[in-house]
Amino acid sequence: MSHEGEQDRYVGRSVRNLGQDAFVSGVAKYTSDFQFPDQLHMHVVRSPHAHARIRRVDLSGARKVAGVVLAMEGQEAAQLLDPVPHYIDPVGFGGKTVPIRCLAVDKVWHYGQPVAVVVAEDKRTARYAASRVQVDYEPLPAVLDAAEAVQPGAPVVVPGWADNSIMALPFANGDVAQAFERADRVVRTTVRIHRFSTQPIETRVYNAVPDPETHGLTFYGTSQNPHPLRHVLARALRIPENLIRIIAPAVGGAFGMKMHGHPEEALVCLLALRTQKPVKWVEDREECLLIGAREQVHEMELALTKDGEILGLRDRALANTGAPSACPGWGMAFLTGLTMPGPYKVQDIDVLMNIVVTNKPSWNASRGYGKEATALALELAIDQAAREMGLDPVEMRIRNFVPKDAFPYDSPTGLIYDSGDYAGAVRKAMEALGYAEWRQRREESRQALGFGASAKVAGGGVVGAAAPGAAGGAKLIGIGLAYELTPEGGAIPGTMVAGYDSSTVRVGPDGSVTLLTGVTTPGTGNPTGMAQIVADELGVEVETIRVVQGDTTTCPYGFGNYSGRSTIVGGGAAALAAREVREKILTVAAALLGVDKATVTMDRGVIRSSAAPEKTLSLPEAAYACYTRAYDIGLAITPPLEAQATFRPGLIRHSPDAKGRINPYPSYSNAAYATVCEVDLETGQVKLLKFAAAHDCGKVINPILVEGQACGAISFGIGGMLNEEIRFDANGKQLTGSFVDYVMPRALDVPAIAVAHHDSPNPVTYLGLKGAGEAGVGGSAAAVVNAVNDALLPLGVSINDLPVTAPRVWAAIQAAKDAARPAERPAAATREVA
Amino acid sequence: MSANLEELVEDSVLLQCRVNGKACEREIQPGTSLLDFLRDELRLTGTHMGCMTGHCGACTVMLDGQVAKSCITLAATVQRRQITTIEGLKGADGKLSPVQQAFWDEAGFQCAFCAPGMLLAATELLRDNPDPSEDDIRRAIAGNLCRCTGYQSIVRAVKAAARVQRSAG
Amino acid sequence: MSLHPQYARPRSAAQAVALLDGLGAGAMVIAGGQELMPHVNYGRLMPAVYVDIGGLPELRGIAEADGAVAIGALTVHRDVQSSELVRAKLPLLAWAAGQVGGGWQVHNRGTIGGNLVSMHPLYDIVPPLLALGAEVEILSTAGTRRVALSGLIAETSHGLGTTTLLTRVLVRPTSPSTGWSYQKLKITEGSYGSANAAAVVALDGNRVTAARLVMGAVAERPIDASAALKGLLGRPFDARAAAEAEAACAALVVQPMDDQQGDAGWRRAMAGVVARRALAQAVARAGGAAG
Repeated sequence: MSHEGEQDRYVGRSVRNLGQDAFVSGVAKYTSDFQFPDQLHMHVVRSPHAHARIRRVDLSGARKVAGVVLAMEGQEAAQLLDPVPHYIDPVGFGGKTVPIRCLAVDKVWHYGQPVAVVVAEDKRTARYAASRVQVDYEPLPAVLDAAEAVQPGAPVVVPGWADNSIMALPFANGDVAQAFERADRVVRTTVRIHRFSTQPIETRVYNAVPDPETHGLTFYGTSQNPHPLRHVLARALRIPENLIRIIAPAVGGAFGMKMHGHPEEALVCLLALRTQKPVKWVEDREECLLIGAREQVHEMELALTKDGEILGLRDRALANTGAPSACPGWGMAFLTGLTMPGPYKVQDIDVLMNIVVTNKPSWNASRGYGKEATALALELAIDQAAREMGLDPVEMRIRNFVPKDAFPYDSPTGLIYDSGDYAGAVRKAMEALGYAEWRQRREESRQALGFGASAKVAGGGVVGAAAPGAAGGAKLIGIGLAYELTPEGGAIPGTMVAGYDSSTVRVGPDGSVTLLTGVTTPGTGNPTGMAQIVADELGVEVETIRVVQGDTTTCPYGFGNYSGRSTIVGGGAAALAAREVREKILTVAAALLGVDKATVTMDRGVIRSSAAPEKTLSLPEAAYACYTRAYDIGLAITPPLEAQATFRPGLIRHSPDAKGRINPYPSYSNAAYATVCEVDLETGQVKLLKFAAAHDCGKVINPILVEGQACGAISFGIGGMLNEEIRFDANGKQLTGSFVDYVMPRALDVPAIAVAHHDSPNPVTYLGLKGAGEAGVGGSAAAVVNAVNDALLPLGVSINDLPVTAPRVWAAIQAAKDAARPAERPAAATREVA
Repeated sequence: MSANLEELVEDSVLLQCRVNGKACEREIQPGTSLLDFLRDELRLTGTHMGCMTGHCGACTVMLDGQVAKSCITLAATVQRRQITTIEGLKGADGKLSPVQQAFWDEAGFQCAFCAPGMLLAATELLRDNPDPSEDDIRRAIAGNLCRCTGYQSIVRAVKAAARVQRSAG
Repeated sequence: MSLHPQYARPRSAAQAVALLDGLGAGAMVIAGGQELMPHVNYGRLMPAVYVDIGGLPELRGIAEADGAVAIGALTVHRDVQSSELVRAKLPLLAWAAGQVGGGWQVHNRGTIGGNLVSMHPLYDIVPPLLALGAEVEILSTAGTRRVALSGLIAETSHGLGTTTLLTRVLVRPTSPSTGWSYQKLKITEGSYGSANAAAVVALDGNRVTAARLVMGAVAERPIDASAALKGLLGRPFDARAAAEAEAACAALVVQPMDDQQGDAGWRRAMAGVVARRALAQAVARAGGAAG
């Protein structure tokens, strides 16, 4: 490095977002901002049934509407389009698969499934004409619940499958039976995670523009993964990849939902090719809410010593992934199993993850990608054990963590954890929370209600006493802690979920720097982080760097954005490419200055030599020489000033070990989350008073952006536990169709968040990066639930059936009152309230 | 119905208003939302669509200096009014307003899809209340959803903008 | 139902109702649009003609008339909140208008008339107006009639039909010696109400002499609990009275709503809780000892 001190480097500083002022002045262009001459609009006709045979689709009513250009149903679409290849085909893991059609053929298997499409000259006409499509359905029995779906004789969702299980995967290690025999205590906790979703404020938008010259097309879209999407579209459309260009403009949030496999992607392309006009589709919020995730039940059993050491863990998990889809959502459940037992050192585990299809809408990838469910299941079970055994949840965790001197650490499922100091992060988080002070306030809240100093069981408290005051009812304070281990940068063999990525650094003859990379941004700030890396490696000012992403024609082949990978691999590749370009510049600069190259440095675009301190050279001067003097002083380099590099992090192991296990992750970011809540005993309302996190994302490139990622994930966790839920009626019709019913956190719902960094660098990535974009949903969610249960502790009830909305908390409080009333009997242990 | 009443019923609307200070006159379809008018007719695409039910606030604009959700405002009903969109927030000198500058400096956005609405809500707040409390700020953006930031950096940005505005007198 | 709607901007309220009368059921009144437009955007409503009443001067303004405060139907929530007259004479209404969800954007555009006409069970304005004994003025081609709001909402069609216009809301001022409260309970800040209650209480010394209480957001229609609270009269509002009131109010919720704002059992219980809290705060504001 050419820089004298850390303070001169961009990495580690809160550099503000690149991109000039476009994002605050309304000129940044998102997909829906593109409008082309002769633009047509698509509207999708969707199934009102969860499960039905399609007898007939009558498009004549739609075709009669003036302005309608084309209408199509499933039979015709199946002639014109091949099935959409799976992002992750379950067959690769020994599971069941089924070809995915863009429009239902013969039968629908979930509410909201696309059945027909209408293309019209404007979007209102398309919507209206779609309402004129007549579909004759014969409703079939639907299976909505995963537990029912695995019963013998349950309706089978996929014709030809023997049952509804995609696969039942064991993750087992050691001697669990023996661990449970040795245990002083076994604590069982059923954690029911509900269906909740990511819901970026920008919905999905696709606009396919045909190219009459090539008979191909350009696809503008809200895509996290343009190159892999191009592959999928090419196969579905039966044309070569090189006839498709994908441009992913600014994305208004993605969180996994804009990973592909969605039927509308190939449909707009097909319709653009058929009409030879641009065809656009803008998802509405009702459609966006159809995309589910995370609905799974964990029956957790912990074998414990009397002082809280976990000897063994059993988990029987059942994931309701909805109907089959080409999107990668179902794989979340696989990773939930694989990432057990998180940060804990227990080696004797027996996890069975049964991944099930039902007649609910499908999942797609959602921030956390299954690891948030791991955290919820583990952290709720540990708190349940701590409550039942009267142990301190902080101490219990610290006792069970993988110690910081044990890395690299082999997990019982075959993962290799790179580094970490989990106990240190917990201590930092509790300090940032102000643990001592909140403990005091918690005690005061208990005392005020007549609960004893170490209230653990239900007593004769004055629960919900009708105080005449209007300020609200009696309130209890609770403190919740949770940990989340978030493996990042995943690579799944045989899929387009790759562990590596590529970047190109280009310096023009004028000295301007362009970074082109295969990783994309959903708006996380990764271009700024990567530019900071390039600025340091190259020795230029960060503001002068232009970052180009999301274009299959101009960017190097890349896999896009997922799994907190972008800065690890895109940034790592950019660093390697920048070094190569810098060598070229310095070689030519040394020749221009007539000095030994070893004496030459470049800093902020100014080139100096320690051998000739009186002379300086600007980057544009050196760059111009590199381009124009290829046959004299430039002979030593290969022009132009451009290099492409690939970063392929270590630690990933795809060749199975003796037990047949692989390690798909190079990086194991982790964090402690702690929160304080106040529960109104009259209403069950939960108010969060404070939130703190201490996280280890390895080297922090840009603190302000990394903290922004953490706070965003925490807001997801809070919303997911306190309100967000996608619900259905008994027939499988989705009830949650707008933000009236899907209620995400507002500014007043999110308390002040203190974020502390507790970095242990990853030895196998550039600068020790671990990834910062995905972590935090599960840890923060679990902290919220644990805080609520801590508040309820004096009442002797707890809730592990999520979300912990006010009505559920209230129901638990009522159960405590009912239990306390008849005999004032001392409760031996806390009761779980379903 | 009498002839003079029938005359009142039109197939299209001649909408006359001022958008970002400029006079605007367009013949529009009566059913057009203000959001579609701005985006599709005027090609002012800084105003965003997030839900079309008035909940997310990404479509926020100002009508005569007061924030409104353009997706649930019928364009025909803003006859002769002053509309300010995100594109109109910069000063006459082309410089970012203090609120815009603070959002950029303080990372008051990530994907920035909500940013236009947040910026306009914050602008109205700081015009009426130059020294808002944290609670005032959170209430002022209660009609706007952000899915990326957890609101922390947005609140920080509004506070920073307030400081700058106050010190500028 | 029309893909190509028409538009009319009448120049007077009389012209507006004449238009509505002539146009029939496909015509829809629009002002702020906050209620109508979400349905239009999703194709659930497709008006044949938008009758834009936004420009009608006789529907604007807040004034005292015949011993009542008259609030024009086009008055937006923000103006109801900030009006000196409303704040002084009808503080309950001013406060409740501030509790309307959706942020300033909705406060700036949503009108009191639109809020009432929608008769949405989860909205905030009807319960306080019922507690205040409000009347509304309704214009049709037959002329203006003035009816109690309570009478209007008792009818399934809410008595307005498609050819009338709600022009003004008339509310007699509450005596400065009465106490008031509006309690709104929601799951999180972005939620619609799960239960709300508006109370107006008068005291003689420590004793309750009059109590009006209306609950909203717990059933398809607001519930006026005033008659059921007769037992509160003539005694102080102490803990026992509070508990009785809570139980009596909860018991009035025969068919609680059951939706994503909360299940039926909780909604019924919360009706009691918000009712009690509203009464307690109103008593305290009236100068009573409780609170």
